[in-house]
Amino acid sequence: MSVVPLRQNNTFHKDPKFGRLLLVSLIAHVLVLVVFSVDLFGTKVRYKPPVYYVDLIHKPVLNPQAGRPDPRPVSKPKPEPVKPAAQTVTPAVPREPVKPEVKPLVKPTPAAEPKPKPKPAEKPVPKPTEKPVAKPVQAKEQKLQSALDEIRERQAREAEREALKDKLAKLRDSVGAAATVPADVPVGMPDGQGDEVGVSALAFVQAFIQQNWVLSPYLLDQSRIADFEAVATLNYSASGSLTSYSVDRLSGNKQFDDSLKTAIVKSRQLAQPLPKELKLVVTFNLKDIAAARR
Amino acid sequence: MLLRCFMVFLISLALPWSSLAATQIEISAPGEQSIPLALTTFLPDKGPQSEKISGEFNEVLLADLDLSGLFRFVAPKAFLDDAERIGLFSTQVNFPQWRLLGAETLIKGTYALEGEKLIVEARLFDVVNRRLLTGRRYVGEAKDVRRMAHAFADQVLKELTGEEGPFSARIAYISNQSGHSELWLMDVDGHRPIRLTNHRSIVLNPDFSPHGKELLFTSYRANNPDLYRKEIYSGKEAKLSYKPGLNVAGRMAPSEREIALTLSKDGNPEIYLLDTSGRIRKRITDSWGIDSDPSWSPDGNRLAFISNRQGNPHVFITDIFTGRTTRLTTKGKYNATPAWGPKGDRIAFTRQEGGRFDIYTINTDGTDERRLTFGTGNSEHPRWSPDGRFLIYSSDKGGKRGIYVMRSDGTGSRRLTTLESDSRHPAWSPRW
Repeated sequence: MSVVPLRQNNTFHKDPKFGRLLLVSLIAHVLVLVVFSVDLFGTKVRYKPPVYYVDLIHKPVLNPQAGRPDPRPVSKPKPEPVKPAAQTVTPAVPREPVKPEVKPLVKPTPAAEPKPKPKPAEKPVPKPTEKPVAKPVQAKEQKLQSALDEIRERQAREAEREALKDKLAKLRDSVGAAATVPADVPVGMPDGQGDEVGVSALAFVQAFIQQNWVLSPYLLDQSRIADFEAVATLNYSASGSLTSYSVDRLSGNKQFDDSLKTAIVKSRQLAQPLPKELKLVVTFNLKDIAAARR
Repeated sequence: MLLRCFMVFLISLALPWSSLAATQIEISAPGEQSIPLALTTFLPDKGPQSEKISGEFNEVLLADLDLSGLFRFVAPKAFLDDAERIGLFSTQVNFPQWRLLGAETLIKGTYALEGEKLIVEARLFDVVNRRLLTGRRYVGEAKDVRRMAHAFADQVLKELTGEEGPFSARIAYISNQSGHSELWLMDVDGHRPIRLTNHRSIVLNPDFSPHGKELLFTSYRANNPDLYRKEIYSGKEAKLSYKPGLNVAGRMAPSEREIALTLSKDGNPEIYLLDTSGRIRKRITDSWGIDSDPSWSPDGNRLAFISNRQGNPHVFITDIFTGRTTRLTTKGKYNATPAWGPKGDRIAFTRQEGGRFDIYTINTDGTDERRLTFGTGNSEHPRWSPDGRFLIYSSDKGGKRGIYVMRSDGTGSRRLTTLESDSRHPAWSPRW
């Protein structure tokens, strides 16, 4: 008996139900897809809204108006009333308790005189003959003189204090803190020329990155502090996310370069959305530290 | 057609970016100038728990890292549960927890105490980038725990600054603790003091050889200020220069082939170079004034020294090959004990002003002179740490004269020796 190879005898037999089964399978798949993708039962789609931290006062804007970036002086009105009072006193006699001291000193000299006006102060002088009287007068004059000296000293101190205050105010102005600006000044930037309420978006991003930049000068060669500089390009989306960045120029010092890369990584999400997407070329250096050491 | 559409799509994508003009900003100082570090207490891995081991390791490491001035320590009270978990792999550390506390770097570790054998595993992590920066495993005895902590502090500095720290080194100094002025050796934090000499006389002015194996010092043991050398490990000692008069302030050259010192064999103190057997090789100075206190430049080509050849004692620099000598300091009526920094750029010295001595540093070209010590007391004998980050000096500002350490900018000063004895003339060894 010859053995016929099985393959030769077995011709492919097509099952007549195969097509139908395939169709059923297809329909079942489509149904599963429909059930899971279409809201058949009217269930609410769970939408997870993103949470934005929106600070309406410090909102970064492109064209900030002139004003104060720091809305702190809520408590400032308190010292305000004191200030003008002190100012009005300074030109003449600085403090009230001093005044009464002056008058009694002037008064006793013309004890017999009816009028206690400033003129009598000279009267005791032409009467030096009466020694017992002259001595107390001299003593009183000395007292008067010392009181006047004290007043002058106080005035000088007040003037010094005022000068210092002015200096401080100027310094504050120069750093843009706007601390001397009255409380009702709107939120903006000291050098703002636009019309939007908020702080400069650029200043905001700059402060944010700077805050995240940690670098100890002890990590670096102290004699080269002024030479370290690196440049990076940062692209921020309007939502405040860092979409891409590139370090264009490195300082060559590993510690310095690593620290700014870490600062960029830490600044990948700003605390506030931006008015629009921003492309920033950021120069990192240590000029302020070098200047402080000079 | 399809390709054209695709190109248009690409261009439309690129347009907003190309139209976005780059704005320049400058950040001219970091927001924080010290690295926030969380230093956790090391946990027992195997064997019994020993608070002494973990406490001592932590204390030494904290003191060393604090002296470096690099760090701001996160308060341990704020630590969350990750501080109590053993996890030495970066995958096991809960970095977000440490970020929450504001830490940028984290030190975690374990110890295993088996009898007297101690194994310490220490890790430094970068919290922001969630990675291990460096790790070390130290094996030794329980009494070595301080050395292990110093070694890890050195390693932390090496990882963060690129240069190893000097905390594993030793400090030689002169102390009258034993009743006589003798040579002593201690750790850089003032612990483990050991007496090296027993001359029962006056010992002064020690200096390490560049490899740290030997010490040079002057002793009056033979009733004359002679120069000695001493091997630290073997304790062997030999008289190197014993010419009539002064044989003081011996300083070994970086090459270890020559010794600069002050000799007054001819009456007037001058600076000479000796070979290692004590024979005079070269006379460096020749002036009517007193020349003393030589200090080598790191390249071994120049010497800084004190001379009163132009009136008051001032710091001078001389080239040992050409003999060209320049005056470095111009201020003050009395300048003394110059010490050339290991980086070669600055020289520390002492100046007397207002009847008090203080430490100063100056660039080798005479610029940028800075006073480092202030307040009461006399501060003298400045010497550099091998990495140039710190200076040690002696001062009597705490009553009795003691050894102090500070950063090279004058900050972070702290006393190393106890108040019970009088200590002076410190010298920081090379890395041990």
